[in-house]
Amino acid sequence: MGSATQAEVSGAGGAKGDSHIVVSGLTHVYRPRHGRQVTALDDINLTVGNHEFVALLGPSGCGKSTLLYLIGGFLPVEKGSISVLGEPVREPGPDRGIVFQHFALFPWKTVRANVMYGLERKGLPKREAEARAAEMIAQVGLKGFEDSYPSQLSGGMRQRAAIARTLVLDPSTLLMDEPFGALDAQTRNLMQIELLALWRRSPKAVVFVTHDVHEAVYLADRVFVMSARPGRIKAVVSTGIDRSDREFVKSRAFVEKVDEIWHLVHDQPQGPR
Amino acid sequence: MAIDGLERAGERTPALVAVLNGAGRILLDYGSLIALVIVWEACARLQIVSPYLLPSFTNVLARIWAEIGDGTLLVNLADTLRRALLGFAIAVVAGVALGMLLARSVTAEWLVGPLVSLGFPLPKITFLPIFILWFGVYDTSKVIMVVCDAIFPVITATIAGAQGVERQIIWSARNLGARERDLWSTIILPAAAPQILSGIEVALPIALIIAVVGEMMLGGSGLGGAMMQSWRFADSVGVFAGLLELSVVGFILIRLMAAVRRRLLRWHAEAQPDLV
Amino acid sequence: MTRLRGGIGLLVLALLWELAPRLGLVRMDTLPPLSAIFLAWLDLARSGDLWTHGSASLLRAAAGVAIAIVAGTVIGIGMAAWVPVRIVFRPLMEAFYPVPKSALIPVTALWLGLGDASKVTLIALGCILPVAIGAYNGARGCERVLIWSGRSLGAGKLRTLVDVVVPSALPELLNGVRTALALSLVLLVSSELIVAKNGLGYLIGFLGGSGIYDAMFAVVLTIAIFGLIVDRLYLRYVRSVLSWQ
Repeated sequence: MGSATQAEVSGAGGAKGDSHIVVSGLTHVYRPRHGRQVTALDDINLTVGNHEFVALLGPSGCGKSTLLYLIGGFLPVEKGSISVLGEPVREPGPDRGIVFQHFALFPWKTVRANVMYGLERKGLPKREAEARAAEMIAQVGLKGFEDSYPSQLSGGMRQRAAIARTLVLDPSTLLMDEPFGALDAQTRNLMQIELLALWRRSPKAVVFVTHDVHEAVYLADRVFVMSARPGRIKAVVSTGIDRSDREFVKSRAFVEKVDEIWHLVHDQPQGPR
Repeated sequence: MAIDGLERAGERTPALVAVLNGAGRILLDYGSLIALVIVWEACARLQIVSPYLLPSFTNVLARIWAEIGDGTLLVNLADTLRRALLGFAIAVVAGVALGMLLARSVTAEWLVGPLVSLGFPLPKITFLPIFILWFGVYDTSKVIMVVCDAIFPVITATIAGAQGVERQIIWSARNLGARERDLWSTIILPAAAPQILSGIEVALPIALIIAVVGEMMLGGSGLGGAMMQSWRFADSVGVFAGLLELSVVGFILIRLMAAVRRRLLRWHAEAQPDLV
Repeated sequence: MTRLRGGIGLLVLALLWELAPRLGLVRMDTLPPLSAIFLAWLDLARSGDLWTHGSASLLRAAAGVAIAIVAGTVIGIGMAAWVPVRIVFRPLMEAFYPVPKSALIPVTALWLGLGDASKVTLIALGCILPVAIGAYNGARGCERVLIWSGRSLGAGKLRTLVDVVVPSALPELLNGVRTALALSLVLLVSSELIVAKNGLGYLIGFLGGSGIYDAMFAVVLTIAIFGLIVDRLYLRYVRSVLSWQ
């Protein structure tokens, strides 16, 4: 697939609102200390609108997490560019909150101390930090567990704590790296519902990495379907789901969208390695 | 610490059974130790072994009691603990600092790294005569010797701990606004704490062993010095009293250290090893 | 790369060692130049002192460690496999663990005098614990499924122990042996420094007491390097044994 078509594809998607994240011509080569180098991402172009929820969907090894880490500023941008709200990304910052699959909570801190960590770094007075943390903890449904350590919580509760820790800083961008991948199906479903509710209450640009088609269609306005080796965006699909209907998962439109994207993901022609 | 098979003793068991269970448990947990002491005492009393080689347990206890009474135990204990714990403290502080530096700075690793990997397996006690030559026979030599031996487990554990911190933990902290210097104190040190404490737990008995050797070689009282003194005067009761005293000191220090670890690592859901 | 810079570092250290006393930065007798130490070492080697004392030390350490390894393995595996063995040895091990092993030096000297027997006993007693603990924890960690599958494949109880439990205990056991090796040198050298009539530790004490410092440094370095080589060789051995991991 040539780069020209890719540019077309991402342009055609049409971000709603102003562009919040702009990635253009991004190529990332992974150089392991031993063994040969791998082109993890090849000429990626995408834009994410203000308050838009997009999903990066693809098989493992397609570089979707790498793309997220690059937007987060954790890995250096070597070729191409990434800007968030017009500013080029150079290093990690609290304006781009991230939630990892394995929570990455600080295990030696209580839930409250975890949530307060970012506020403390901002130099907020202790009482204010405590008040804001308490409010956020209540919002994610962890009231009563403020003094628990992560090791004492279930997987779902840990992820709630991790989300609270990120959202308490009210980032304008939220990066999520398969955040519900480590949870059981029931908890995952519950967390998806609550994430949508949180996002509606305080809209932000969300980039959500997943390999679960159902999850992508359920959550996102637009789905970027990626292919592996080298990681490329092979299609952008607007879901166009009306989520005001509580039973929308059972609607024909939803099921057909899942089916459409499922085929996009799996009809992957064997490209050159 | 539970011995298999006695687990089922619940609250509902009749009092007598509970008492028997309790007695059984004590017998299981300490039986062979009690038997050892009884055999020891019997061997000595019945003169199966000469009292010079094995003074009776009660005589040894009486000696310890006397040493407590006239204050010699306290004086010797203070000497030994001062040397062991001073050296231990220096080893912990310097070892953690050095380990962090080595984990963090490429230059420091370049300069000191090979020295550390070379020094760890070295039998450092052989340098004691050299330290005597340099620093004399008093506390300085003994404390430096303790530091030299106790610091290596702390350094290697700190390096391993600091380098083993998960990438995403550090990323999370950076993402939440932590700067480079915040990272070391608020993230890497606590995240590496379990491993660092393991290194410190290895260093503590080493510190005591080396302090005792130093006293045995250089005198200057202390529990080790007192044991050698007793040995020279063929006072076997004194030798065994010293052994028992040092064992109790070691026991208390190790228990204290374990308590400190539990206190510091309340957050850590670690499986307690079954033995020691 | 690491080796290369380790070599460079050592070379720089050796140069400093040679030059500092020669340039008068430190006194000759507190730090003899490296070349003088080397010459003293050659003298010791030629006179045969190094060999007689060295072989005495080596035999003591080897005998003590060998006893500790055999006894420690048997006790540790036995404790994991049979409850009665555990009931007998566990309290003893827990009581013995916190004893600073150097406190046994005067005790073994009291029992067996200044010769080989007291050193061998000291090393065996001191080193038995790390081996036994390693064997016990390793054998206990052996998964029950493995034992069951061994039994279901028709292996008898003892066979299972030898074929399944011992190999899976090996990593921790070998680690315990490494601790024992390091401890044996500490106990050997300190006991020879404190109470002995021969051996390398005694030689160090004798030379230091007589003010022959270059020779004393030579013996100290000999033991240090010997300890280092033993550890490195042992690690290499462990790696080859555990290559299935």
